Amino acid sequence: MTDKTLSSTPDLRSAPLPTARTLRMRRNLPYQAYRFAAFNLRIVRMVLKGHH
Amino acid sequence: MADVVILGAGVAGHTAALHLSRLLPRGSAVTVVSPNSQWNWIPSNIWVGVGRMPKEAVVFPLAPVYAKKGIGYRQAKAVAIRPEGDLDDERGAVDVVYTSPDRAGESERIRYDYLVNATGPQLKFGMTPGLGPDAGHTVSVCTADHAVHAATELRATIERLRAGEPQTLVVGMGHGTCTCEGAAFEYVFNVDHELREAGVRDRARLVYLTNEAHLGDFGVDGMTFDDHGFETTSELWTSSLYRERGVEAILGAHVHRVEPGVVHYETLDGEMHELAFDFGMLLPPFGGVALEAFDREGADITSELFAPSGFMKVDADYTAKPYEEWRGSDWPKTYQAVGHPNVFAVGIAFAPPHQISRPRKSPNGTLIAPSPPRTGMPSGVMGKTAALTIVDRIKHGDDRPAHEASMAHMGAACVASAGAGMRRGSAAAMTMMPVVPDYSVHPTGRDLADTRGEIGLSGHWAKLMMHHLFIHKAKGRLGWQLIPE
Repeated sequence: MTDKTLSSTPDLRSAPLPTARTLRMRRNLPYQAYRFAAFNLRIVRMVLKGHH
Repeated sequence: MADVVILGAGVAGHTAALHLSRLLPRGSAVTVVSPNSQWNWIPSNIWVGVGRMPKEAVVFPLAPVYAKKGIGYRQAKAVAIRPEGDLDDERGAVDVVYTSPDRAGESERIRYDYLVNATGPQLKFGMTPGLGPDAGHTVSVCTADHAVHAATELRATIERLRAGEPQTLVVGMGHGTCTCEGAAFEYVFNVDHELREAGVRDRARLVYLTNEAHLGDFGVDGMTFDDHGFETTSELWTSSLYRERGVEAILGAHVHRVEPGVVHYETLDGEMHELAFDFGMLLPPFGGVALEAFDREGADITSELFAPSGFMKVDADYTAKPYEEWRGSDWPKTYQAVGHPNVFAVGIAFAPPHQISRPRKSPNGTLIAPSPPRTGMPSGVMGKTAALTIVDRIKHGDDRPAHEASMAHMGAACVASAGAGMRRGSAAAMTMMPVVPDYSVHPTGRDLADTRGEIGLSGHWAKLMMHHLFIHKAKGRLGWQLIPE
C-alpha cells in the first residue's frame, strides 16, 4: 500500500537539536559512569524478566 | 546416548553447542558443522570497517574451543537434511560437504538424534546487480574480511578528502527487503566520527539510504520511549542525531542496481532516482542458507521444511493476514521444525511469520519492507532454549515439554556505536522489551520502563564491554555460563 504522507527525504530542520549542556553531559565522565551502571541494571532486569 | 548436530557456529549455534556440552550427560555427543574455521563477533565488525580495530580482535579459531569443550567439529557446509533418515537408517541425517583445506569437496552423511539448524544468513548481494565487494561496486561489513576491505576503501576516501577533493559517502541498505538497519546506522555515524577526527567532515557529503519508511524504525516498527515524562518516538530521537551530525537521510528506498559510482533506487512514491557516490557501504538482503530436504525414500520435501526464502518453518503462525491482524502470538516459542520435534531452527535460520515493521509497496508494486531483525541477544536466547529442550528430552524422555522463548516476550539491547574512543566515543544505546510489540498489552507496543534510548559516551563503554564479555563467553572461558545471552 502507498502512503502519500511519507517523504523519502525527511525535513530534519524540525528535529530537536541537543543543547550545549546535553552535549557536555554526553561526555561527562561521572554522569556517564552513572548512566553506564543504569544501562547494565536495565539489561539485568530484562534478562531476569524475559530470558532463561 | 544421543547425537546432537548443530549446523552453524554463529551466535545461536555456538551458544547452543556450549550449553549442550555443559549440560548433556556423559555418552552424548555434540557436533558442530560450520563452513567457517573462525568465530566472528559481528557487532564489532563496525569498528574493523572504520579501521579502529584489527580483524584479529573480532575473530578466533573455533577448533581449539570445541576441542577443549569436547564438542565434535566438522569444517563443512550442510547441503541436505534427511529428517526421516534414509533406507539404511531411520535416524535423521545431514549431508555435508567439507570446506577445510585438507578435505575440501569431500562429502559425509552425519546421523543425528537432535538437529539444531543455526545456519545464519546467506548474504544475497546478487539480488541487487552491482551490489557488494566481490562482484559489485560497494563495500560491506557483514564479515570481518568485508570490514577490512571497507576500512581500506574508507581510508582512501579520507585521503582524497584531505587532498581537497569533495566526496559523497552513502551508507545503508542495498535492497528494499534488507534487515539489520541498526548496523548501517552504526556504520554511518562511525564514518561521520572518523571524518571529523580526520578533520575533513566539511568536505564530505554523508547520506544514509534506507528501506525504513521512518528514521528510527530499525525493522522493529520503531520504538516509543518515556523521555522525562513524555512519550517520544525513536523517529524523533534519531532525527535529532542525524541533524546534529549533518547526515542526510533517504527513506523508503529500494536499490535497483549499483553502477560504478552511481546508486539507482526507487522510493515509496514510485519515483526513480540516482545518487552519485565515491564510497558506498550498502548491506545485502539476507536469505536462508540453501538446504534441501528429502524423505526416507529420497523424495524432495524441501518446501515442507523451508519457506521460499530458504528459512526453516517452525512453530509460528504463517497464515497470511493483514498488518492490523498481526499478533505477538504469531511468533514461534519453541523453534521446533514443522512435523519434526527433534529439529530446531534458531537465530536467522527460522522463518519469521511476518515483518515487524509495516510492509509497504511503491505504486510500481516494488516491495519496500524491512525484514525483522533476529540477531544478537534473541539469537543467543533461542540457541540456549533449543539446547535446554534437547537436554531435558535426552535426560528425561521425549515427552518433556519444550522450553519457550518468544520474541514477543524477550527483550533485546541494541548498542549502536556512533564513534569509537574511551573519552570521545559515543553510542546510541537502545533497549526494547519485547522485540515484537504487543499493542494489546502495552499501548505503545512495548514496556516503557525497559524500552529506552540514550546517546552518550556510556553507550560506547557498553558496546566495548559487550565485545569483551561475549568473546570471553564464546571462548568458553571461566564463568562463561554466567554471562547472559
